[in-house]
Amino acid sequence: MTLQNGREVLISVRGLAKSFGGYQIWDGLNLDVYRGEILAIVGGSGQGKSVLMRVITGLIKPEAGDVALFGNNAKTLLSQDRLEIEKRWGILFQDGALFSSLTVLQNIQVPMREHLELPQAMMDDLAFLKLTMVGLPPNAAHKFPSELSGGMRKRAGLARALALDPEIVFLDEPTAGLDPIGASDFDHLIRKLQQTLGLTVYMVTHDLDTIFTVCDRVAVLADKKIVRTGSPAELQRHPNHPWIEEYFCGERARAASPGERARIPA
Amino acid sequence: MLKRDHTLSLSTQARAPGFRVELRGTTFRLIASGAWTVVEATKLDSALKRLRVPIPPTPDFTGEMDIAGIAEIDTAGAWLLQRTAAAWEEGGLRTRYAGATESFRILIEEVQRRGNAERPKVGQTSAMQQLTEDVTKALTGVWSDVVQLTSFLGEVTAALGRMILQPWRFRPKSFVHHLDHAGLRAVPIIALICFLIGAVVMQQGVVQLKPFGAEPFAVNMVAILALREVGILLTAIMVAGRSGSAFTAEIGSMKMREEIDAMRTLGIDPMDTLVLPRVLALVVALPLLTFLGDITGLIGGGVMAMAVLGLDVSTYIDKLHDAVDLQHFMAGMIKAPFAAVIIGLVGCLEGLKVEGSAESLGTHVTSAVVKAIFLVIILDAVFAMFLSAIGM
Repeated sequence: MTLQNGREVLISVRGLAKSFGGYQIWDGLNLDVYRGEILAIVGGSGQGKSVLMRVITGLIKPEAGDVALFGNNAKTLLSQDRLEIEKRWGILFQDGALFSSLTVLQNIQVPMREHLELPQAMMDDLAFLKLTMVGLPPNAAHKFPSELSGGMRKRAGLARALALDPEIVFLDEPTAGLDPIGASDFDHLIRKLQQTLGLTVYMVTHDLDTIFTVCDRVAVLADKKIVRTGSPAELQRHPNHPWIEEYFCGERARAASPGERARIPA
Repeated sequence: MLKRDHTLSLSTQARAPGFRVELRGTTFRLIASGAWTVVEATKLDSALKRLRVPIPPTPDFTGEMDIAGIAEIDTAGAWLLQRTAAAWEEGGLRTRYAGATESFRILIEEVQRRGNAERPKVGQTSAMQQLTEDVTKALTGVWSDVVQLTSFLGEVTAALGRMILQPWRFRPKSFVHHLDHAGLRAVPIIALICFLIGAVVMQQGVVQLKPFGAEPFAVNMVAILALREVGILLTAIMVAGRSGSAFTAEIGSMKMREEIDAMRTLGIDPMDTLVLPRVLALVVALPLLTFLGDITGLIGGGVMAMAVLGLDVSTYIDKLHDAVDLQHFMAGMIKAPFAAVIIGLVGCLEGLKVEGSAESLGTHVTSAVVKAIFLVIILDAVFAMFLSAIGM
């Protein structure tokens, strides 16, 4: 277990490099994710925010650099150990990525069915519990993904990501495409689940409201690396970088900043 | 998963989950220990199910879930505890928790609150009822397919009429693209298949006719078969599998991504841009491919005839002249444009029927191929009856 500044590091990324079609998107990217925090990754489009999530979760291979997952180097992991690690995280893709041929309840049960041998009655109960925990109405249980709205699909995707009670969840643009009320509900849900389940949350987001209301720490992707990390308020006070200044001190950021709204209490 | 102490790394023994029940004073205590997590849930579940609910001798007996010994807990563990506590409450024991940390308490309370939510009932139907429903659905499905295909034929004909009156609606680029994909690129596979089938039929014909000393007539058989049936049928089936399915997949995925709705709102008629070029391209391509199939079938038969009958090229051609005339060729050829219309219509219509999910796309692609082949064979049978009635 790696400790840094007295905090446990769940995921650590060192010296990552990756290019697509001859264009280098990162060069020497470093990032730490601490246990129990809600970390937001922000950056302009094309900076590889979603790609970074995919590299950490092993969907894309980097050209250089190391990713350490719960203290294990991803490169040297055996497939058996990798499977164990995959049980310890949950991923919410942008549109939920639910399996379209399964009902919501069956979708939530997929990880349980694949990794554990639980009695069916118990899987039903647990899946139903997860479904209500993410705030879906009970009658959504037997619906198919195509019958759900975008917001409900995200919630169902989150319930599937939480099926095995992971230690960390990755959220790819959790509030994109939701109306402000739905997005704000989702912010509260994330904070609540983080408290209840002791989760660590890694989210890729553009949503300034989300950043200011729930995120503990923000990591900014610019100039091919993480240029700064810090609390949203800190970055707003001392941007020290043109992109951060534009992002955190622009009109939209001023409207969303905590001066005018209450932060969800941690 | 919540841990009592993050700096503590559990030994294997401490991880093993367990519980025991004891009576202290007037309190029944369930003393739980170890890791109550989803990985261990099966074991805990069966052990807890075996546990009998204590029956309080007097109403002042209470229950207690002592979880001070639990090192790790997650939703599954909390749910198991909660289920047991609820059963005890049911049995008349007021049950509370002891030894929970702040984070454990939050989780257990959340599970308690959520666990009470009403579960929706799944409608159960009997096997007989299910069977009746399925049969009804299948039969009405056949009828609605007929209606839809007929009305789609009408729409396409109307669109064609519009296009003839307003020729600038024609999309030559798209037409040529589909002509290339459905026609030119199908040449090698169709030539190969027809060549092989021609050869195989010739070889089998010779073997079967030999006992009657009639093996030279195998040439007649192959020639008539290739021109009237094999050329068109094989080509149509191949094109239905290659291009009909491609039409459904292309149009279907556009439908899924709302591209078709976007076209309509931009004042572009999907009939003009998507359906007509495809159907017209097939109407041109399929007769050409059929001709190719006819010829390669005859060549295949010829190669085999040279091998097993010892005919040379000019004798084979002479025999072909004797065996067939234009009428046989036309009897096969006339079916090609009709088959093309069927394949094109079915492919495009199924594509337009695709709804949101990827599964729906898959279903419609399959049904496009199945329906197109089925209809092509029906068409062939109808033509066989018609042509024999008029003496061709």
